[in-house]
Amino acid sequence: MTDIEHRVRARAATPPPRGGARAAGRGRPSRRARLGPKLGRLALFVLPGLLAYVLFVLIPIVMTAYYGFTNRNPFNPPTRWVGLRNYTELATDPEFLQSLGNTLVITVIVTLLANAGGLLIAMLLDRATALYLTLRGMFFTPVVLSSVVISVIWQAVLRDDGLLNSALRGLGVERPPGWLSDPGIALYSIAWIITWQMLGFCVVVYLAALQGVPRELQEAAAIDGCGPMARFRNVTWPMIAPALTINTVMLLITGFKAYDQIQVITNGGPGTGTTATMAFHVVQTAFNGNHVGYSSAMAMVMLLLVASVSVAVLRTLQRREVTR
Amino acid sequence: MRRSMIFCLVATLAATGCGVGAEPAAAPSAGGKVTLTFLVFETPNLDAKFWDAAIARASAKVPGVTIKKLVTPNVDRTGYAKQLDASGNLPDILQSVNPAGFAQAGKLAAFTGEELKNFIAPTAGAVDGKIYQLPYNTQVIPVIYYNKDAFAKAGITATPKTYKELLDVSAKLKAKGVTPFVVGGGGADTWADMYPLTGTIATDVYSKTPDWLTRRAAGSVAFKDADFTKAAQKVADLAEQGYIDPAGLSRSYADSEQAFRDAKGAMYPMGSWFATSADNTKPPFEIGAFPWPSDDGAPVTPTFTGGGTSVSAKAADVDLAKKWALAFDEDKENNDAFVKADGSIPAIKGYVPPSDMGPVYNATVAIYQQGMKDGSIVNAFSQETGDGSLPPGLADKAALAVQDLITGKKSAAEFSAYLDDQWTKATQ
Amino acid sequence: MIDARTHAWLRPLVAVFVGAVFFLPLYLVLVNVFKPGADIVPHPAALPLPPTLDNISAVLSRPDHLFTYGLINSVAVTALSITVLTVLSAMLGHYLARSRHVLAKITLVTLLCGLMIPAPVILAPITIVLKSLGLMTTLQGLVLVNVGYYVPFGVLLFMGFVRSVPLELEEAAELDGAGKMRVFWQVVFPLLRPASASVLIFLGVWIWNDFLTPLIILGPDSGTTVTVGVYRAIGQYQSDFGSVFAFMFLATLPILLFYLVLQKNFVKGLTGGAVKG
Repeated sequence: MTDIEHRVRARAATPPPRGGARAAGRGRPSRRARLGPKLGRLALFVLPGLLAYVLFVLIPIVMTAYYGFTNRNPFNPPTRWVGLRNYTELATDPEFLQSLGNTLVITVIVTLLANAGGLLIAMLLDRATALYLTLRGMFFTPVVLSSVVISVIWQAVLRDDGLLNSALRGLGVERPPGWLSDPGIALYSIAWIITWQMLGFCVVVYLAALQGVPRELQEAAAIDGCGPMARFRNVTWPMIAPALTINTVMLLITGFKAYDQIQVITNGGPGTGTTATMAFHVVQTAFNGNHVGYSSAMAMVMLLLVASVSVAVLRTLQRREVTR
Repeated sequence: MRRSMIFCLVATLAATGCGVGAEPAAAPSAGGKVTLTFLVFETPNLDAKFWDAAIARASAKVPGVTIKKLVTPNVDRTGYAKQLDASGNLPDILQSVNPAGFAQAGKLAAFTGEELKNFIAPTAGAVDGKIYQLPYNTQVIPVIYYNKDAFAKAGITATPKTYKELLDVSAKLKAKGVTPFVVGGGGADTWADMYPLTGTIATDVYSKTPDWLTRRAAGSVAFKDADFTKAAQKVADLAEQGYIDPAGLSRSYADSEQAFRDAKGAMYPMGSWFATSADNTKPPFEIGAFPWPSDDGAPVTPTFTGGGTSVSAKAADVDLAKKWALAFDEDKENNDAFVKADGSIPAIKGYVPPSDMGPVYNATVAIYQQGMKDGSIVNAFSQETGDGSLPPGLADKAALAVQDLITGKKSAAEFSAYLDDQWTKATQ
Repeated sequence: MIDARTHAWLRPLVAVFVGAVFFLPLYLVLVNVFKPGADIVPHPAALPLPPTLDNISAVLSRPDHLFTYGLINSVAVTALSITVLTVLSAMLGHYLARSRHVLAKITLVTLLCGLMIPAPVILAPITIVLKSLGLMTTLQGLVLVNVGYYVPFGVLLFMGFVRSVPLELEEAAELDGAGKMRVFWQVVFPLLRPASASVLIFLGVWIWNDFLTPLIILGPDSGTTVTVGVYRAIGQYQSDFGSVFAFMFLATLPILLFYLVLQKNFVKGLTGGAVKG
């Protein structure tokens, strides 16, 4: 394994200008001659994966888009075309706007906290002795666990007579906070649980990046009189930027998708919509209120938001590639 | 070689699919036996053993039926039934699924008057005059279960007869450092927080206007009307005074029950199903029961009758499925089992509960019988099914909004306005 | 880090402390799996001395075989899904990484949109598609949905890694007369092994742990997966924490072992061409 990798890396480390190689490749056989195999290759390489995606993601999205223009309600037929009515209603629907806000709050907190915490812990664990290897494994465990399992664990810890508050009461705190029952706190508790779940992932990715930072570079900078802070900013930080991108993408995905934890721990409460994320609100509207048309419009707004974030992320990824 | 690996894989994928599942798929078989699916839910009281035995008893009475038991993933069987229906897999027979929506959309089979001849309330939960869910039992919602020890220690000698007395009792308990009410509803169990409000609405709204929700549907009354808002205000006040601990809102239903058993509160307003649970798992203190009191002390007994079995209009054999559902709900032993496990008060003519029932169950039934005697039976708010019930999804919204009422995030007026708003949304 | 040497004792101390705080919730589950049910509520944090296997054997000996049947289904669904996904997304990712065609870019953006769509949001239309294909309540249906839903993530990972494979290598093999397919499987794919490991681990973990999709697609009568089993166990056992924790423990064990076996390649594949770990 290492042998092949070394070879590959050796070559990848000194690539010829990419455009050049490609231009040369394109020049070789005539276009016409390559057309047949090209189509065959397209069919073999692209179609199977794409077909599954089209069938089970794209078509459902198109169906959702269509429902979004109707008043579809499986318990109250017939379905009528209502044009943009669902969308104009969404613009002023406080519950929907709240779920939008909740999703953003969770996504921002999770992205910032897990990135920052992950980096700090990675720097702390950046040693190769058994102790640190064991700790790495411990930090990664939650990533492997189901959200349902994690939700059950944290519910046992955070509910009002849960383990955390029992401990706080033992320490003499008379009225410990209602981590899940106080509408002002519950959303942050959820964000924390997701952060905890993702922290180990960030740690592992940052560790990989840190281990790629050449020690000589650090030492050279130290000799040049750089303090620890300056060394971090000038040497380490640029080298781990790709890890930052990977983590950010993963955390954004996790934040936007937040659903399981809400379903298991809070049911969108305490109270009306305090912890309801968009995904949760869409499902509630569709299945508890039967308003499939309206929930589909919500799903489309969500999709648009997601698409714009995706494009932005893609741009960043490609820009980085250029500078690399 | 790799290519052949892929082919193998595809072949395996095609071949294994049907075989790997836990059990063979349900289908009417050739021997004249019909297989029907039956959706049940499991709780600590109604466990797998309970359902298997009950199913076997009903099947013994209806030849030619094989029942395949399906289990919901959590107690929200109505939500799960909707999800199954959305994917075209509504089971043939459903246990305790709210028929609202399903019935109107023609997804359930109606029972005839002849079929319902053994039921005490053959019109309970009717949708456009037709019954889609067997009204097999009655529940009093809420009953206030109380900790006799805590009452005695606080110097309370009699149970409160009026709402004012209920407040006095609460004040005395609180003065002794005891939280008066245990109200729960954390996690997926938001519904568990409704019961104080169901009580105040019974005494302040339904006692005067029994068909209030039907009028609400017609638009002649609104939630923001004074009487409904006053009922909500009572709950807000209980929380404001510290008589209801908002901490309960992170407790699941089971946790709330445990909190009451652990004496974390002296009174537990809950549906009558708690009675057998209290008898079966006795706490270290004695439990008493009294009805939710009205302002002037006039008796009001909020109840819900229904909750039984429904049959899908597309069942493999609708008539046979109905016959089996009736056999299931009318079977004496099944009802005994429901009584013992879930504290139900069967609404089947001539049914007598087992003689060895515990004191809390007997006290609960006494409240119901007293209510029948003095004609004080009203509906239990948010529990109704059929005509004159909340539109689909509104009971869930109301339960969430009650949390706002308890935490003080919504005033009673805001709570009422919210419900009016949600009603409009739910029905458009 | 020369000056840090004076505080050499500080690092392990801080590391162990942070690790302990982080791990505490998992510790609480672990110890309580092996503790008699009655001791859990009064002594949640105490060590299980002497340890008992009662909770675990209670889960394993359930009359409805919720765990064992779920395990069979979970293994089947996860194994089939991730194998197909690795093959398909490696090919698709390779193609998209190499192609400069505008359609390839559009395909990529479309796939990326799918990456962030929560499955519950499009689950209802998915069931309609499945029904029309006659695949509802079948394991094949669930596998295919998993493939379609997770292919974007696989593609993203493979794309990043394919870029680190020098193009000349492929071109040289092609000049030797090998077909594109053979070049891919014999030259490129073996070099993508770390990426394959990441895809296998990540998607394996996600598919194993998913509860809503199997809950709806398999329906109640084609059996469940272990994670659906956990979800059901929460409702049934309610405050019987011993049983709930034991079920969670058993349901997690296989996927944890799977991760431990593959973890060596995992980070490399994930960070692909980006981080040289």
